[in-house]
Amino acid sequence: MPELANHTWDEAFEAVIRPFLPYLDPGEKLTDDSPLKELGLDSMGTIELLAALESAYSVRFLDDALKLENFASPDILWNTLITKTESA
Amino acid sequence: MDTHTEPAEATRTAIVFPGMQPTAFSEVSRFMLVNPYARELYARADDTLGYRLADRYQETEGDYSLYGQISFVVNCLALAHFAGERLEVDPSHVTGPSFGARAAAVYSGVLDFADAVTMTARLAETVDDYFAREHPALVTQSMARVPQEGVAELRRELEERGEWSDIACVVDHDFTMLTVHESVLDWLQRRIRSLGGMAMYTMKPPMHSYLFDGLRDRVDEEIFAGLTWSDPRLPVIADQDGRTVTTGAGVREMLLDGFVRTVRWPDVVASLKAAGVARLCVSGADGLFTRVACTTRNFRVMPVTPRSAMRPARRRMPVAA
Repeated sequence: MPELANHTWDEAFEAVIRPFLPYLDPGEKLTDDSPLKELGLDSMGTIELLAALESAYSVRFLDDALKLENFASPDILWNTLITKTESA
Repeated sequence: MDTHTEPAEATRTAIVFPGMQPTAFSEVSRFMLVNPYARELYARADDTLGYRLADRYQETEGDYSLYGQISFVVNCLALAHFAGERLEVDPSHVTGPSFGARAAAVYSGVLDFADAVTMTARLAETVDDYFAREHPALVTQSMARVPQEGVAELRRELEERGEWSDIACVVDHDFTMLTVHESVLDWLQRRIRSLGGMAMYTMKPPMHSYLFDGLRDRVDEEIFAGLTWSDPRLPVIADQDGRTVTTGAGVREMLLDGFVRTVRWPDVVASLKAAGVARLCVSGADGLFTRVACTTRNFRVMPVTPRSAMRPARRRMPVAA
């Protein structure tokens, strides 16, 4: 499990997310509350991002962690990742 | 189902008309108003309907409004014309999972464009009326990351609870749509997540079940009987089982089967692969069938969307002497 970092995600997290946000310019900053859906994260992208996070952090999303609303913003998703997942 | 059978020579292109997904007017308005292929088709649709379709689409709320449905068909067909003329796409086969079968019927020459516009409008009204009367509490829940064994387990558990269910659509080996009574939705969604899956969209009205034979008969008698069904100019692959359809009557049956039979996309993938198709030109925005692994592992996928069609075309620069 990654270390809890008080709403501040690590570099790997942003590197995993960015490829799933086609409407986010490469130089544009990703903020805590950036709306991921508006940045191009669609349903299939969500499933793929989930698998990418599980692989990068060696965790497994289960039960409530798998709710779609957990993918609304980087802040919510990071907190889900560090508090609601199990080690793979 | 994985389909990795390599045909002797895979060089062909198939055109795919996607299933309908909710599309905000603002996402497609520029394409509808500027793209010459879209403008031509919208003018013809307006003549048929007797009103400005784009205006009604813009003014009406709801993910699957009648005007949104007609516009989706028109946009997909305009993109196919664009792909043929500007991108030199020359397909050997055509297919259209679920809602996409309607555009496939027009593109293949089975249905006249004006007939298809009228048909789509009447279908939208008939489907709404049928489900409001006959099955007002049924919904179709899509789930990802649940393998077929997991789906079978869920259905067994539903049966043990005395609940009916039916598979509406198999999108991939781990992506399924299941029709259930809406009273079990909370339980079903929790159970999907407990299996490590994601409960995605819930669709109402539901789709593709043997239970809807009354709708099939009504559509056949009230709508399809008045249309002309010509033989297709290229083979159409049916979304229920991947069979190849080569007659107008066969395409009519395929569309009717769409109301009562499960969509099985992996069977379409297998048929296209066996026919030597290597590339899919996806004519319309698709967030489902052409995005799943069974598709992307087997084909080069070429999306042609309202957004991509509006990008400036690259021009070849003259070579300096």
